Amino acid sequence: MSENSEKLIVTKIEDGTVIDRIPPGKALKILEILGIDSNYPYTVALAMRVASKKMKLKDVVKIRGKALTPQDTQKLSFIAPTATVNIIVDYKVQEKQNLKVPNHVEDFVDCVNPNCVSNAHEPIVSSFDVVSKDPLILRCVYCDRLLEQKYLNRKL
Amino acid sequence: MIPKHLFSTRIISKDFIEQIFSLASKIESNPDQFADKCKGKILGTLFFEPSTRTRLSFESAMLRLGGQILGFTSAKVSSAVKGESISDTIRMINLYSDIAVIRHYIEGVGEIAKNFASIPVISGGTGSQEHPTQALLDLYSIKKEFKEIDNLSIGVMGDLLYGRTIPSLLFALAKYENIDLHLIAPPALRLRKNVALRLKENGFKYNIEENLKDIISDLDVLYMTRIQKERFPDPVDYERLKGVYQISTEDIKNVKDRFIILHPLPRVDEIDYSIDKTKHSRYFEQALNGVWVRMALILIYLGID
Repeated sequence: MSENSEKLIVTKIEDGTVIDRIPPGKALKILEILGIDSNYPYTVALAMRVASKKMKLKDVVKIRGKALTPQDTQKLSFIAPTATVNIIVDYKVQEKQNLKVPNHVEDFVDCVNPNCVSNAHEPIVSSFDVVSKDPLILRCVYCDRLLEQKYLNRKL
Repeated sequence: MIPKHLFSTRIISKDFIEQIFSLASKIESNPDQFADKCKGKILGTLFFEPSTRTRLSFESAMLRLGGQILGFTSAKVSSAVKGESISDTIRMINLYSDIAVIRHYIEGVGEIAKNFASIPVISGGTGSQEHPTQALLDLYSIKKEFKEIDNLSIGVMGDLLYGRTIPSLLFALAKYENIDLHLIAPPALRLRKNVALRLKENGFKYNIEENLKDIISDLDVLYMTRIQKERFPDPVDYERLKGVYQISTEDIKNVKDRFIILHPLPRVDEIDYSIDKTKHSRYFEQALNGVWVRMALILIYLGID
């Protein structure tokens, strides 16, 4: 199938977010972490493994009526660091963001250590420094334990 | 720079460590001179986990300084059984005392202290994470024996995975020069990845060994630890590993003349009683050194000259 004919599958959206250049096969995971499920009331278009000049194959997600929070963008950057986020207003790209893995994240995922104070009932949020971006490794600010890619893949 | 609270040896400077040792040494040589230094001051002791030496030596330290103590020795007699959070407990001790020591099985309590305590809070052991005052008294014991810590050959043996004294000891040792460090443990009880990463980030190198016999004659210090039953998620693993690293007089036949053995205690069966009488054992003196070091810490943290 040519790239042209695939464009026909995924039509333009009026307002919302288009996430492009997602590593192939990750689109479903992205919808999951954005909390988009069968109850989402607006149009959602998803294309997996479509041809891409830059990536050979990519996934694309278009979500009408959805604006990403900074936390959503952070999560995306860990799962799909190559992705671009396009904010669509009135069928046009109003803003285009390239994702960047941050150096620090908060309230993002639970610490791997069951004895970590961030997993106890305390008035704090989980907090991690990013010690490696590829492979992804986070270090808990509280207990110092490392959260490795395998754990994050399961948790994110 | 002195951190407001003491929960890790990783973030303290060598100068601060030497300042503690210098004061501890003065106190040790003339404790009576310090007998009234903390008159009217209260040390809060929050022990959510069992403790003998740490609690008693902190209490002894404050009493020898003329201060008073206030606290509990078991989570069962605190409002933790009613579900009170650590942060609220720390808020309370902050109101009732001038300085506090806390031992908790939950890791990362130091960050809670940062947020909720205006008085200095010192760790008396935090889960498997760290036990900074133990490391300070360990190094003080080594320094007393050898005058300098630099250039020594040190073996650390036993439970390097769950032992909370280990990260604190290694982070503190990493501040000294030319330490020939040997970590002796079965593969299942080696350093946690986060501790190894911290040491790597500091450029602190060490050798991993499985057999003490290969290196014991080169060592100046052997630091033994207990295989900690209470930290094992699976009791079967504990039973399999508990007797793996034990020493007796037979093992120390060919050691250096000034070789010493340290142990944070309690020991179970890793050091045979026959070693207690040899000139190499130092673990009981080490426990006493805890009082001098903790007296010094209390004075420094209360800003008392």
